[in-house]
Amino acid sequence: MKPKVAFFDFSSCEGCQLQVVNLEEKVLDLVDIVEVVSFREAMKEHSDNYDIAIIEGSIMRPMDEERLKKIRHNARILVALGACACIGGVNKLRNKWSVDDVKAEVYGNADLDGNPYFDALPTRAIDEVVAVDAYIPGCPINKNEFSRVVTGLAVGRKPKLPTYPVCVECKKNENVCVFEMGQFCLGPITRAGCDAICPTNGEGCDGCRGFLEDLRVNAMKDVLRHYGVTMDQMMKRFNLYNYKREGY
Amino acid sequence: MRTLDPDAWKAFIDGLIKEPDLDVVGVKEKGRRFVFAPLENASELRLDYDVTILPPKKELLPPNEDLLLFDISKPFDVLAAHDERKKVLVGVHPYDLVAINMMDEVYLGTHVDEHYEKRRQNTLIIASDILNIPPKAFCGSLGTHTVESGYDLLVTPLGDRYVVQEGTPAGTELLEKYAESRESSAEDIARVEKLREELPSRYERKLHVDKYKWSEILGENYEHPLWEENARKCLTCGTCTLVCPTCVCYDVSDEVELDLERGKRTRTWDGCLLKEFTLVGSGEIFRETPTNRYRHRYYRKGMYLPMRYGFVACVGCGRCSTQCLADIADPLDVMNVLASSSMDDPKRLPIPEVKVHGVKQQLLVPKAADITHKEQMTDIDTLYKIRLDSGEALGHKPGQFVELSIFGIGEAPISIASSPGPEPEFELLVRKIGDVTSKLDTLNVGDKVGIRGPLGNGFNIEALKGRNLLYIGGGFGLAPLRSLINYSLEHRSDFKRITVLYGCKDPSALLFKNDIDCWGCMEGVEFKATVDECMDDDSWGGNIGVITTLIPEVDIDPDTTMAIVVGPPVMYKYVIRELKQKNLPDENIIVSLERRMKCGVGKCGHCQINGVYVCLEGPVFNYADIKDLPEAF
Repeated sequence: MKPKVAFFDFSSCEGCQLQVVNLEEKVLDLVDIVEVVSFREAMKEHSDNYDIAIIEGSIMRPMDEERLKKIRHNARILVALGACACIGGVNKLRNKWSVDDVKAEVYGNADLDGNPYFDALPTRAIDEVVAVDAYIPGCPINKNEFSRVVTGLAVGRKPKLPTYPVCVECKKNENVCVFEMGQFCLGPITRAGCDAICPTNGEGCDGCRGFLEDLRVNAMKDVLRHYGVTMDQMMKRFNLYNYKREGY
Repeated sequence: MRTLDPDAWKAFIDGLIKEPDLDVVGVKEKGRRFVFAPLENASELRLDYDVTILPPKKELLPPNEDLLLFDISKPFDVLAAHDERKKVLVGVHPYDLVAINMMDEVYLGTHVDEHYEKRRQNTLIIASDILNIPPKAFCGSLGTHTVESGYDLLVTPLGDRYVVQEGTPAGTELLEKYAESRESSAEDIARVEKLREELPSRYERKLHVDKYKWSEILGENYEHPLWEENARKCLTCGTCTLVCPTCVCYDVSDEVELDLERGKRTRTWDGCLLKEFTLVGSGEIFRETPTNRYRHRYYRKGMYLPMRYGFVACVGCGRCSTQCLADIADPLDVMNVLASSSMDDPKRLPIPEVKVHGVKQQLLVPKAADITHKEQMTDIDTLYKIRLDSGEALGHKPGQFVELSIFGIGEAPISIASSPGPEPEFELLVRKIGDVTSKLDTLNVGDKVGIRGPLGNGFNIEALKGRNLLYIGGGFGLAPLRSLINYSLEHRSDFKRITVLYGCKDPSALLFKNDIDCWGCMEGVEFKATVDECMDDDSWGGNIGVITTLIPEVDIDPDTTMAIVVGPPVMYKYVIRELKQKNLPDENIIVSLERRMKCGVGKCGHCQINGVYVCLEGPVFNYADIKDLPEAF
């Protein structure tokens, strides 16, 4: 029997689910090996009977937390899709301010008391709320990695992300290093798997796939200083996707 | 030598490009740098380049390469993927040619890698003399600024003309077929010679130590403070290895298409600077600290490969030092510092002289085999009987291993647990620990697996004959040991006293209970078992304590006893210390070591212990041969 898959979205732009739709003809192969029972971005039907739950977005409200816990309870395998789900991503920048300040800034004096849609918590990644079985990081995700993880799950292989930095893929693509072009890049400390898409297109890496566990942060700071990057620029870039990540 | 006018040279290259069955790959601009890439016309070719971002190794050992194609919907449908395209490389500098010759030694030496061989045979090389020198290069100090051989043609661009030297009949044919050339004049030849003679002095950076002394200097400086100081700045990003023309290590992985049928096994460049390079199934990483990884690269280039192949694996191209963001990857800097501040602490880091096992089959294509029997031994350990489809016996020696494939998942090295014999079945004890072994656990009798091997050097049985044998097995280490124990029992008269000591975590982790019962009551065999811990005293009548607690009780004659020790990495140090207490000489201790044997044939680099390949020289070693290797225990 084909495993049943459901997609869910929380706080996010839904761009990662769009990447799945962008698999185009490969989507047909995908629905050959799994039965998609819920995918708001691509179909009308919905079911709560699924084996694999694929979650996009971060958790920012009490009602999100409740919904996520229910999904976890229903799913045999839970997959975090995209930077918001995997590491909190840009949503975590909101944690710089208190929830009350954010609300006041966004909604002014509107009376939101008792309305659960406007009840907010500090942003969390999925694994800060429930256990996650597999991650597909990135902003947006890499389509090929999505296929790899899904086929891996289907053939019974524990999905494993690269533990080496973006530099490895960047070198294999034979790019001129963006540092040489006067920019700076978090590729040396960021998890590979994106095929170094940003440096390959002449842009420094923002770290959207999350930093490596083995974070060589002092060595990285030395390099950035050497290339004339100020502390302010450095922290802005570090925080863009990895706000308050432990270790730097 | 032949001379071509600039127009004739251009016509020559354009003629090659026009050939539909030939890929012409030459040096082109990319941003402010240069790369080897397919040429669309001769005017793209930049023979005035200094150095390319990646070396031409990428054309012979591509960063991502398909090895096998398979279909997992069928029982066993596998074939080797081969790149059959003919190719000409244009503009290869002498130092890169030297590096390609080194790569040939590795990939076409003892075990021929068919994928590399095919690509190499299909590739012609038009080398070119160096016109411009990149700032970090030091080829002049290594003698890699010119070459005598290894090219099909060697061109020297002199501005107003191109002088071409023929290196092989294939090169000559190319020239005759596609170029209009004339015999070079004495003046042409003199101009070429002058250019080459002047080259070394044009390199501003000089090495202060002869390259053939690197080995000696490294041998004295294993503990030099430089390693740690530089490693502190190291990003461990792997760039220095990826851009190096002599770094040829690789990783292998399986991928399946979304249809869950078609798939492929691919190899990709890997590097010893990356953290998981030495990761094994049990989760241990043998070269974990950045210092160990950083140092290893220099030792591999300057000592281990020179000892094995006779060449210093650095050609002075300067790619690593140009592209290292932390600016710590420069072999010239490091060797100059070591030469001027050498420590006086000679370290023996030898490669044991053992006859490397030969593989007479295709290196990377597994043979089809059936699971014929499956027996659960503990919660996580299962014994499998495997039979090759060919019906032939595996032909292994005790201590050897096989690479077991499950297509779509991958390959894992597994030691052979049965003693050799004429029967077509052999046994593997497999612990459910990684992807392959977990998937294997879901297979049943009658299912197919792939087998490569037997690989590695097994126990030297001749050296054990006429001796007392003391077997010491820890946990899972009993699997390879059992192959030899049973062999020695089958040939009982060849050996004197036989003692087996076996320890595991707790009674539920005991392996090979039938064998153990048998050994326990066999005459002339002393068997003792111990468990580290035992919660329920009733279930276990034997010793409680770690394996070393059994050793003092055993009567060991140091002159006639050979101890054969196999267990988890942490065990060796303690067991060997106990054996030394009993005055057992180093040469009388045999060990079998676990490392990440990915290719099994000395190419991929993962199982290296200092200069030693576990898959070639081992996994069985005489302790005396490797005790001084800092990475061994």
